[in-house]
Amino acid sequence: MTLLSETRSTVFHKILNREYFVYYALILVIAFFAVVLADTAFLSTPNFMNIIRQTTPITVMAVGMTFALAVGHIDLSVGSVVALSALVCSLLVDVVPWPVAVFAGLCAGMLVGLINGVLTEWLKVSSLLITLGSMGVISGIARVITNLESIPVTNDTFTFVFGSGSLGPISVMFIWTLLALVLGWVFLSKTRFGSHLLAVGGNPTASRALGINVIKVKITAMVIAGGAAAIAGMLYAGRLHGARYSLGEADLLTVIAAVAIGGTSLFGGRASVAGAVVGSWLMGVINNGLILWGFSTNEQIIARGLILIVAVAIGVKEDRK
Amino acid sequence: MTAEYHVPDTALEVREIHKSFGGVQALKGVSFSILKGEVVGLLGDNGAGKSTLVRCISGVHPQDDGEIVINGQVVDIKSPQDARDQGIETVFQDLAVIPNFDVSKNLFLNREILSSNPILKFFGWLNHKEMNRQSEIALKRLNSRIPSFSEEIKNLSGGQRQAVSIARAVNWGADIVIMDEPTAALGVEQAAQVNNLIKLISSQGISVLLISHNIQHVMEVCHRAVVLRHGRAAANVLIEDITPDDLVGIITGAKRAA
Amino acid sequence: MLGINKFKKIMVSTAITAGFSGAIFSSVLAGPLETIDLSKSPVGPNGNAAQSADEISLTSDEVAAVKEKKYKAALVWHASGDWVNAVTEGAKTKFEELDIEVVATTDAQFDSARQASDVENVLALNPDIILTLVVDPVSGGAAFKPAVDKGTELVLLSNPIAGYKPNSEYTGIVTDDMYGMGVAAAEMMSDGIGGEGEIGFIYHDASYFITNNRDNAFRTAIQEKHGDIKIVSEKGFTEEGQTFELASAMVLQNPGLKGIYVAWDVAAEGVIEALRAQGRGDVKVITHDLGQNNALDMIKQGNMYGTVADRPYEIGQAMAMLGVYGLLDKESPAFSVVGYDKVTKENLATTWEKSLRRPIPKKLSEALK
Repeated sequence: MTLLSETRSTVFHKILNREYFVYYALILVIAFFAVVLADTAFLSTPNFMNIIRQTTPITVMAVGMTFALAVGHIDLSVGSVVALSALVCSLLVDVVPWPVAVFAGLCAGMLVGLINGVLTEWLKVSSLLITLGSMGVISGIARVITNLESIPVTNDTFTFVFGSGSLGPISVMFIWTLLALVLGWVFLSKTRFGSHLLAVGGNPTASRALGINVIKVKITAMVIAGGAAAIAGMLYAGRLHGARYSLGEADLLTVIAAVAIGGTSLFGGRASVAGAVVGSWLMGVINNGLILWGFSTNEQIIARGLILIVAVAIGVKEDRK
Repeated sequence: MTAEYHVPDTALEVREIHKSFGGVQALKGVSFSILKGEVVGLLGDNGAGKSTLVRCISGVHPQDDGEIVINGQVVDIKSPQDARDQGIETVFQDLAVIPNFDVSKNLFLNREILSSNPILKFFGWLNHKEMNRQSEIALKRLNSRIPSFSEEIKNLSGGQRQAVSIARAVNWGADIVIMDEPTAALGVEQAAQVNNLIKLISSQGISVLLISHNIQHVMEVCHRAVVLRHGRAAANVLIEDITPDDLVGIITGAKRAA
Repeated sequence: MLGINKFKKIMVSTAITAGFSGAIFSSVLAGPLETIDLSKSPVGPNGNAAQSADEISLTSDEVAAVKEKKYKAALVWHASGDWVNAVTEGAKTKFEELDIEVVATTDAQFDSARQASDVENVLALNPDIILTLVVDPVSGGAAFKPAVDKGTELVLLSNPIAGYKPNSEYTGIVTDDMYGMGVAAAEMMSDGIGGEGEIGFIYHDASYFITNNRDNAFRTAIQEKHGDIKIVSEKGFTEEGQTFELASAMVLQNPGLKGIYVAWDVAAEGVIEALRAQGRGDVKVITHDLGQNNALDMIKQGNMYGTVADRPYEIGQAMAMLGVYGLLDKESPAFSVVGYDKVTKENLATTWEKSLRRPIPKKLSEALK
């Protein structure tokens, strides 16, 4: 008897494990919209390619944020880094060879990540506060360097590679998503560095005692988050053929919700890159479905907030165990 | 006052260790030694200098003066890594394990086995298979009750977690394991498991320096007790030569060592 | 900043001499604090002279032809709020008359990337017409390309799209009579302060087609048509929340101020708050657009003297009809403007309903009694 009920509860536990929650949620949401939006093109390959195309910058940011959260940090400045890198790259891309512009955009984002990381360690303040500050500073800089104007991009190679192009029916955005997924997953789950990231997030004291350079690991995580946000910014610039200071401003909540629902702990130590990617798709599908269903942006914001609460609730339950 | 041991099978010897923090003299010349395979209890009231001594030996705070001798060689321990290089591992009271990691990952944290493929190795690619294999051997060696190397630490009991910490120390080839209150956070049964484990590794030739407040545990697992009082070694006695009450008396200062 | 403004001026004059031949980024070039030629009607982004939106109409044959087809439309807005709701209402009413179903309404919250996604999303519903206010005229070209490629009729509100031409990528643009509104605001200012004295000018300090044109028209009209009124202080803001501090500083530095112009209604709330805080009930405030809080102040004869209200409902109706022009391949007026009303306490109730097409809020009607 006891044995039987134990087995059943472990099976239930495994099924209800938050690690898998996001996959069920995605399937459920798609199934739901497939029914209520049966008379639209919701369930069509072009529409799903649309969702991927729109969601990829969020996906890339979410993968970066996963690294920050893995060590127990959070990066609120990702949205403003998006604008900064997009503008830096857009300002340069028609002046210098485009790979140089991309490199400069990437460096801008990683530099912000480095500053965030170093300040957090140096001042011994929560990364929440540091990145809240840097978010303001960077979005201010993004406004100042462009005088609030949009910067057009006319380099066709750049726009092709960074989001506007497609190979047959496959948008290059899809390739970026795959790249973010594979690189992020390999890095976090398959390498020594990824293992150290999670160790530092799970128990910094123990990690330090075992000889891990905790400070270095934490700063590197922030640099990765900044770099990922920079790539996301350039994907926006490539897709929109231009950049503007307001890019990415509204993305922060979406990114955090995507990562959290994907099974990454908001308090460090547990992270899932695949979960973050699927989480971002979930946000994209809900966004797309609500629009096709005739709902407004305000309802979408509510839906996003609710998802975050659900994700956090499940996560906290798991952490208390 | 202090007895000087210098027999060939001494694993660790500390000589006249001094350590001050600001104006406070925490250690005023402590000396003692541990034989190979010996379990030595380090006792003393709060503030007697136990933790400071442990930190000196494990490289967290290097001593101001005095020597640490390992296998007859004077060694310079300036960092936890130096201590580790000398075969000294520390097991902490606060369960120094990563809750979301499985047993195998915990055992190999920061001593990971990398892929043999040179390119993958360059990227730090982990060889999970080999680590799991070795973990299984390590757990068998300790007769531990840990169900599997793939079990996540958070699903284990406190005693099992501490067993993982000890297994890690042993697995990393430690000759000397310092245990700082390893049973303090544990229940009776869990503590007994850890005590058995200490006896087991001792029988395998590993020396243990056990910091404990629990006289009963010390009487049970230690061969010898060193009592610190006001930064000095107030006693260094064989367990079979002393009663628990006398030991308590020495710790509190009510009695002097015979 | 100065360098950039100077650069802009050079660019503007070059563009004008070139007869707006390229004129791709004209909306970007129309910056704050420019002097404009009020003798001309406002010029559209592609150099098309403004026409009255009243001229847009459909014959009964055309209406019948459209009704048969059961077309679909989507509204891809930049933001949400009272004003956008009134535009939506106008468009929806007109579409209903024509048996055109509105399948989606989106709000990009001023996020150009979000608007690009909105376009892709609504295209899955295969609309025949898209009415939009483009968040970013520069990147809008890429954002709306899928719609253009699909042959969707695009009707623009106010903002142009770089590289797009009327009766080609889009049918036409409908917007406010921005010069007219600025001039009207200057007239109301003159009425409010008795035709002479010192005033302050609080303008929108960002590149934004509508606000820049209205602000510049007001400023130019004061300088050219009201010689006895002098703008003694000019301050720009980028966020609505900044106007409280700007106005406070302005009246402290210039105690002789008799009136303040501020770019739009919500921004004016901060100005009125500042004047109240300093006990300056004598300073008159003139702005654009309608809002409940300031309307109440106007009724109670506080600082708010008057506002110039545009007609978003009419904009919506005109846009809806331009969409149909596109479907019928009828030549659209490239740049149409709707009228405006000068609003004071006396005509508040009637203009409110005329502009926003909904009854005046209860709080206001009670206060008016």
